[in-house]
Formats: sequence, structure tokens, C-alpha cells
Amino acid sequence: MTNTTHGADAPAPHPGGIEPHLDLDTLLHHTELPETGFSRAVDPIVRKLGEWSSLLWPLLVAIITINVVMRYAFGTGLIEFEELQWHIYAISFMFGLAWILQIDDHVRIDVLSEHFKFRNQCWIELGGILIALLPFIAVVVWFSVPFVYYSFTIHEISEAPGGLTHRWMMKAVLPLSFLLLGIATVARLTRVLKALFTKKPASAS
Amino acid sequence: MSINEILSILMFVTFIGLLFTGFPVAWVLGGLAIIFTAIAWGSDVLFGVPTGVDWAFTSGIVDRMWDIMKNWVLVSIPMFVFMGIMLDRSGVAEIMMTSFTKLFGRLRGGMAIVVAVIGVLLAASTGIVGASVTLLALLALPPMLKLGYSPSFASGTVAAVGTLGILIPPSIMLVIMADRLSLSAGDLFMGAMIPGLLLASLYIVYIVAHAYLDPKVAPAPKDVEPFTWGLVWEVLKAAMPAFLLILAVLGTIFFGIGTPTEASGIGALGAMGLAWHNKRLNFKVLKDASYQTSKTVCFIMAIFIGATAYSLVLRGMGGDDLIEKGLKALPFGPDGVVITVLFMVFILGFFLDWIEITLIILPLIAPVVEHFGFSLVWFCVIFAVVLQSSFLTPPVGFSLFYLKGVAPPEIKTKDIYWGIMPYNIMIFICTVMVYVWKDLALWLPSVAYR
Repeated sequence: MTNTTHGADAPAPHPGGIEPHLDLDTLLHHTELPETGFSRAVDPIVRKLGEWSSLLWPLLVAIITINVVMRYAFGTGLIEFEELQWHIYAISFMFGLAWILQIDDHVRIDVLSEHFKFRNQCWIELGGILIALLPFIAVVVWFSVPFVYYSFTIHEISEAPGGLTHRWMMKAVLPLSFLLLGIATVARLTRVLKALFTKKPASAS
Repeated sequence: MSINEILSILMFVTFIGLLFTGFPVAWVLGGLAIIFTAIAWGSDVLFGVPTGVDWAFTSGIVDRMWDIMKNWVLVSIPMFVFMGIMLDRSGVAEIMMTSFTKLFGRLRGGMAIVVAVIGVLLAASTGIVGASVTLLALLALPPMLKLGYSPSFASGTVAAVGTLGILIPPSIMLVIMADRLSLSAGDLFMGAMIPGLLLASLYIVYIVAHAYLDPKVAPAPKDVEPFTWGLVWEVLKAAMPAFLLILAVLGTIFFGIGTPTEASGIGALGAMGLAWHNKRLNFKVLKDASYQTSKTVCFIMAIFIGATAYSLVLRGMGGDDLIEKGLKALPFGPDGVVITVLFMVFILGFFLDWIEITLIILPLIAPVVEHFGFSLVWFCVIFAVVLQSSFLTPPVGFSLFYLKGVAPPEIKTKDIYWGIMPYNIMIFICTVMVYVWKDLALWLPSVAYR
């Protein structure tokens, strides 16, 4: 059976309900990479930020509900609340990207690659990070800094009357979250390098 | 061939090729955008052959990403995901399963019908696939096998029915389609309603027919409780929460009370309410559901970002013109071209997921389809019906993978492959029907919100 690693929404064991026969996470082919000093230092930060940002989803539910109720109670919803909705959504998923990279949950087509040797998988990972992922992150950060700075200099605010101000802060989420993604990527890079270039004890080979 | 045409084709070929290295799809797409910008820039600077793509052009990625971030319609994606995960934890499906089985389990193939009906109810209250497939598999496969159902019939039914979640509205796939083609998500939701129910009915027709023609694949149980009206009442009571949730979400959209985003928020609240009602809601469940939502949403949004960058550069090279010219040059006439496109999507579905197909392929071919005078709402709906099979065809089929992951060990991969074949034929029949009778997709949007 082949698969795309991790799909839409693997449920964890049901609390109080039926236990799945297997925890889905154990089925996914997460490559076993050794930890490094750098990854041990930054991974907890990436994880915490990701977990915190995911706790914004229930808040988003609350804000949408309040806005709908207010529209029916007072005939009008608040523009601020409407804008707050996408602010929360954007912050939450943008800061989650690095976390998902760290726990290796991004979709991979591993029909072929799951049959590759571990070392070859590591080489692919190394190549992918150096040629595709890091350049992509670098370009996004490079061009998003002036994007934020411009917004700051013109004191950009929401186009909607009564909308939120300080738009540059929201725009700053873009370079900041990608910087975090870059840090998580470098941490992964050090782990791939360690897997490839440290001699293992004879017993482990 | 011009340099632009060569680069466009190369960009597409390398995408397909690099996907199979197993490097994350999102970053393959994003990386290719940068690599091909570098090549285009190099061709201009080193050889004096301009392509129209340079770093200034590619810096547009940032604006596109900002558009994704401030997109209010896309806010509904995490909400529908959260709702689906919450509903999965709420225990509503277990309760429905128990009572439905008592009433309908007495029939030949009855368990399979129960699975189909519950699958439709789940599909109409969530917009995602994985949760419903795993949930149905965990709930229904063990009792079906105990009754003596054939493993392939049982597993095929669960996979196919669970996949309806992404076709029957609300559906995150339809939200993404609407966003990419600047259509109304509400229109697509309404458009997909009848075809989705039609497909579900075809599934049930197949289940009944197969169970009667070949009784040993789906035997009726020997010891059944005698029929009482109490059982009917129990079924109604068990289905009530799901009905209310569906009414809240789809009703909000259908009657124009709120936008899909608002409906998604209300739905998420409703799912939390159901979990609370069934005494399943506590801080740990809420935290787990939030984490799980982030994991799902982030991988979708990562592909969204990667695909946006990729499409920007591909368009810059003139890749969309190339596809348009290629399709218009086909000697089959408008219908022939659309059928060819749908067939290609079906083939791509063997290897790619709905996300890549929806984000990259759909925006490229939609202008051509529109040029031929077809309604885009209709096209998206039929596209979504065809994409159902991308979940149900090996080697890359989300639903098959999920099912295999949670199925009891006596269900072999081969069983699943055989089991889903007839359902793929049903998808084909449904596609033909929606093609011939376009009003199946177009009637409901034309009367909604009025």
C-alpha cells in the first residue's frame, strides 16, 4: 500500500470512545533523523509557537459566533471583528508551517521513495532543502521585508472604514513566520547532515 | 519552439518528476518557482534571451501570499476542518451506528446501507475526508466482518462512502475551487448538493443490487430484535443532532442568512456543542482537536503557498497560453475538449492529490472551458465528482491509505483495491449523468438565496 504521507485529518485515539487499532502517526513514514545540538535548541521553540498558534482556532470560532450574533442582535456586525477573523487565521497557519515541518507532516508522495534506502532518502532531503526549500524561504523573506517596511512608512491601515490599524504588524507575520520556517529548516538540515556524515557504531549499521 | 514554451514544459515535467522523490509537495512547488526564475533570469542576463520572468516579477509571490493571508473566504477552511475533527470526537457517529444497525441491520446488506447513510450524514456536516473514512472504518468494519461480509465489499463501501465528505457540501475542496476561480463558494456548495446525493444514491443502489445478486458478500444477521416503532424513534433521536448541524450550516448558506465562513464558524460551535452534550468535551479534547486542525490546515496552506508561487512563474513564462493553445487546437470540438480534460484529471488522480490538481490544473484549464461557453459552476462540480476517484484509485489514494491504516489485519490491500472498483464505476456513471443533465449541478444554485 502506498500513500501520500499524512492526509487530511488523522484522528488521534478517541477519548472515551473506540480506540483505533493503530495510532495513525505510527503508520507514517517519518524518517528517523538523529538530533543535533542546534535542533535540540530550536525545536522546542518551534513546537511551542506552533502549539500556541493552533490554540487560536477555538478563539476564531468564538469571534465568528459573536460577530454573527451581534449582526442579528444589533443589525450590524463589527468590521473590526470581521478583520480579526482573517488576522487570527493568518497568524495561526503561518506560524504553524514551521511546526509541521519539524514534525514532518507536510504531504509527500512516497509511492517510490518509501522503497529507497534510508541514506538515499537523506540525500534527497538534503538536496531538496538546499536547492528548493531554503532558496524559496530566502526569496520570500528578502522580498517581504521591503513589503512590510513600505506599509510601515505610509502608516497603512485597513481599506475598510472602521477597520484595524497598524497593518504593517500584520504584514510582518509574513517574514517572521518564514524566518521561523527557515530556522526549523536549518535544524532539519543539521539532522540530515548528521545522519549522512557521522559514522555510526558498527552495531547500528 | 520558443524559449518560453520550452521552459514551461520543463517546469511541468520537473514538477511531476520531483514529486516522486518524496520531497514535500509544497516545497517542490515553491522551490521550482525560484529555480525557474533563476533560469529565466540567467537566460536574459547571460544569453540576452528575455522570457518576461525576472526577480522583480517573482517578488509578486509576496503579494500573492498576502492575498492568501487576508482572504476572508479561506477562513472557512480551518473552521470546517475543526468542525470535522470535533464531530469525529463527539461520539455522534457511534450513537447513530448503534441505533441505525438495530433498525436496518436486519436487511441483507443492511450494514452496508447503514454505513452509506451515516456516511452521507457525516459528509453533509463536515468538509473533509480523512476523519469520516477512519471513523466509519473503526465503527463499521469489525461488525461487518463479524456478520460475514466479504472484506472487499465491506472495505470498498467504507472507503467510497467516507470520501463523499469532500463532495457533499460543506467541503473545503469547493471553497478552494471557488477561491481560485473567483466564484461564489455558496454557489459551488449548492451546485454540488444534488450530484453528491446522486452519487450516494448510486452507491446505495449498487450495495442493494450486489447484496441481492450475491447474498454471501453481505449476509443478513440471524438474530435480530423484533421490529418496533421504538426502534424507529431511536433512529430519529440519534440522527437528530446531525440533522440539526446540517440544517444550521447548509441552511445558513442556502437561505442567504450568512456567508460560508460564518456558517463554518457556527458549524464548529455546533460540533463542540454536540461533543459537550455527549460529555466528550474537555480541555484535552479541545487542545488535541486544535493541534490536529493546525496540522491539517498548515499542510493544505503550505501547498497553497507553494502552488501560488509555482503558478505565478509558470504564467509568467506563458504556460497558461501554451495549455490554452494546446487545448483549443484539439480537433474534438468543445465537448470533446472538456471530456478530454476530465479524462486527464481522472488519470492524474492516480498520482496526484486533489489539492495539487485543484490548485494548479483547474485554474489553467478553467479559462478554456469558459471560453467554450460552459458554466464554471457546473465545471467545478463535475470536476469535483471526477476527483472523488482520485481518493479511490491506487497507488496514491488518500482514502485507501486511511482505510488500510485503521482496518483490521484480515483486510488485505488487494481486498480494498477490488472493493473500490465498482464504486469507481459509480463515480463514472455519476459523471456522465452530470455531464448530460447539467441542471443537476445548476438548478439548486439558481434557486438558492432567493
